[in-house]
Amino acid sequence: MKKLIMLSVALCTLFLFNHPLFATGGDEIVIGFTSDALTMDPANHRARTTETILRDMYDGVVVRNNQMEVVPQIAESWKQLDTLTYEFVIRKGIKFHSGDPLTAEDIKFTFDRIIKEGQIDGQTSPRKSLLGSLKEVKILGPYKVRFILAEPWPVFPAFLPWQEVVSKKFVEKVGSKGLATQVNGTGPFKLVEWIRGNRIVMERFDGYYGGASAIPPVGKAKVDRVIWNIIPENASRVAALLSGDVDIINDVPSHSVRQIELNPNTKIMSANGTRSNFLVLNNTRPPFDNKKVRKAMCYAINTDLIIDKILNGNATRLNGILSPDAFGHNPDLYEYKYNPEKAKALLKEAGYPDGFKVELDVVASRKDLAEAVSANLADVGITAPVRVWEKSVIRPDWKKPEKKRDMYLTDWGNGSLDPVGLMTPVLRSGGRGNFSGYSNSKVDALIDKAVVEIDRKKRAAYYREAEAILNDDVPMVFLWLPREIYGVSNRIGGWQPKADSQINLHDAYIIK
Amino acid sequence: MESFIKRLFRLIPVLLGISIIVFLIISLTPGDPVQIMLGDQHVTPEMEQALREDMGLDLPIHERFIRFLYNASQGNFGRSFFHRRPVMEVILERLPATIELTFCSMMMAILVSIPLGVLAAVKKGTAYDRSSVVTAMVGVSMPGFWFGIILIIFFAIHLQWLPVSGRSTFSLRVPSVTGMLLIDTLLAGRLDSFLDAVKHLILPTVTLGMAMGATLMQVTRASMMEVLKQDYILFAEAKGLKRRRVTFLHALKNALIPTVTVAAIQTGQLLGGNMIIETVFGWPGVGSLVVRAIFNRNYPLVQAAVLIYVLIYVLMNFIADILYTVLNPRVRI
Repeated sequence: MKKLIMLSVALCTLFLFNHPLFATGGDEIVIGFTSDALTMDPANHRARTTETILRDMYDGVVVRNNQMEVVPQIAESWKQLDTLTYEFVIRKGIKFHSGDPLTAEDIKFTFDRIIKEGQIDGQTSPRKSLLGSLKEVKILGPYKVRFILAEPWPVFPAFLPWQEVVSKKFVEKVGSKGLATQVNGTGPFKLVEWIRGNRIVMERFDGYYGGASAIPPVGKAKVDRVIWNIIPENASRVAALLSGDVDIINDVPSHSVRQIELNPNTKIMSANGTRSNFLVLNNTRPPFDNKKVRKAMCYAINTDLIIDKILNGNATRLNGILSPDAFGHNPDLYEYKYNPEKAKALLKEAGYPDGFKVELDVVASRKDLAEAVSANLADVGITAPVRVWEKSVIRPDWKKPEKKRDMYLTDWGNGSLDPVGLMTPVLRSGGRGNFSGYSNSKVDALIDKAVVEIDRKKRAAYYREAEAILNDDVPMVFLWLPREIYGVSNRIGGWQPKADSQINLHDAYIIK
Repeated sequence: MESFIKRLFRLIPVLLGISIIVFLIISLTPGDPVQIMLGDQHVTPEMEQALREDMGLDLPIHERFIRFLYNASQGNFGRSFFHRRPVMEVILERLPATIELTFCSMMMAILVSIPLGVLAAVKKGTAYDRSSVVTAMVGVSMPGFWFGIILIIFFAIHLQWLPVSGRSTFSLRVPSVTGMLLIDTLLAGRLDSFLDAVKHLILPTVTLGMAMGATLMQVTRASMMEVLKQDYILFAEAKGLKRRRVTFLHALKNALIPTVTVAAIQTGQLLGGNMIIETVFGWPGVGSLVVRAIFNRNYPLVQAAVLIYVLIYVLMNFIADILYTVLNPRVRI
């Protein structure tokens, strides 16, 4: 009897650990991803991570290529007729996963669902504000539509890649409730399974039209299946990559970079991010109402060393607020090289020969960076104790028009890579994210002119001029642009990370 | 039976009180879900206000609370701000995974710790006893998230025996009936899928069950030692009963009363501990959902989840009370 029990235990153990659990047909890429999709309805969420998942099943009218330029996807071409009108020609022969053909009707339906009130079972789409002043979509023919704006908004094409096209027939059949869990897009993959909080499984769509013609290779997806495993904890996500459970992980913490690089089967890949990091200085009261003090701060912080040692080199230094990839970026800005002596001299000139004491606000994930900044400031006589906050508490406090705090090490995202998403909120007087309380009528005028300027060259020139003024005025210390870091298995080919944090798996394949 | 119904009625003020406290705490916590949702986008104040109205956050706090109570009394806990669906729907989808993990951890803890505790008490003062006390001490003091990650590094990365996260392998999936994979896979008659589910369960179960098991072992050991000193044990031994019979029949039954109390309380705590363990192991349960909801100030979801936690907690204590009467007929509820 005893022997029999022992034998069965041994057999069970053998079966448990040696059973070929991963024997599946076809090529498969597994992603270890930070968060689950909130919904499968592309019009009813405001989460970038949800969009990243949906974007492999839904295509948009336009899309961004790896260089972050907006190129046609479902559209064949587009032209701007005047300040308020954009005309799009839609490609023929595009099919939804259900097999129905895509026409201009679907495009109009998609955008009406977002911009009109109460279209999603009485709720209004939370993505409405991403379409700015879009007023109406007119159908000119089965494959031609016109987008009409209520007021000039030149960045309309830059915001368009965020919207995915749904099928009118399908949504009318399943309703918004159905669309929250089912997918009928025109993208390279179709939805097979979604277990909430656990995984999303997609399979290749064989009727795919091939994708944006400007982003080769054009054609069907190369792998049979893509599985997104939801692993929110950083250490576990890294572990899943190292153990071979998953092939690509997003949001790698910078302290895990070396571990992934040292593993013979994995590598690090990165792209310039879109979140500019800066040290906000309260311009509305002493000591930071004095430009000399602000300049002293720029010289006192050893930005290059912090990027090198704490961010492990995974960031690009900024001399202005815009990313080098952004429209209107000024490459000729003055670089405030680390120079503590100059900082001390400037402080003395400003009337602070012995420095001063200020508090440095930061959220927990950036504490080590803030401490490095604080140490740099201590060297020039500025005492800046670090105060750690929760983001949802400290951010609204700094957003209030009346500024009561001293310094804030933070960032602002700019997925559109157009200055309108960054300079208008952060540096224009009264902007929603104008933490520093900075107000300069010259800069305001340039920003306002640029927002409505149609001529791209003139627009870019306005922004460059504004950046030059800001570079001299330094309302905040511009620091760095962290890179989006991914851990990737060596068996994956044909995949490139993108600055807009989308994981486009259309061209990815397994190296054999 | 009558007392059972009475107790159920007594639950109502408890739940009402808890919901008031939770509502107030979360509403008074700084942080604005509208700001969190809009993130860094450039929007006009009108757009912001429209979103606020859509979420029902434009009303003053007392009106919001009355509305919440009224809706909750009809079983409507509101809509999750970020999922934009009814919160109960969102939570109930995740509940089976949490129940499965909690149940397995509890079973593991009980099945391992009670025999070990009894053994330690019987062999009091020996090397076995001393080493088990030290082990239990380590188990109680070890932070769960740390232990979990150590297990992952050892069993998932180095040995590659067990998966790092999730509940099942896609190729071995079975149709969902109860949402609890151990049951669903057996219902589907798939041994391979069942073993796959077990494989996924091992690391989170051990991590979660460790602290509970260690505490239970300490309690069982202490109470067993107390009981073994009693006269009736001496009498039973004097009668010439077998040692094993005395230990397990006469002593253990009486020694289990404190163990049952602790186990019931601990199961309630396991649900809380789940939040961390579920996040570490990517376990798609309510815990990992609530953690995110708290950071996002997703008020309706947190409120509903806390109420469910309270209900389970009270229920577990109720079960413990019933178990007392079985273990000790002198106790009446």
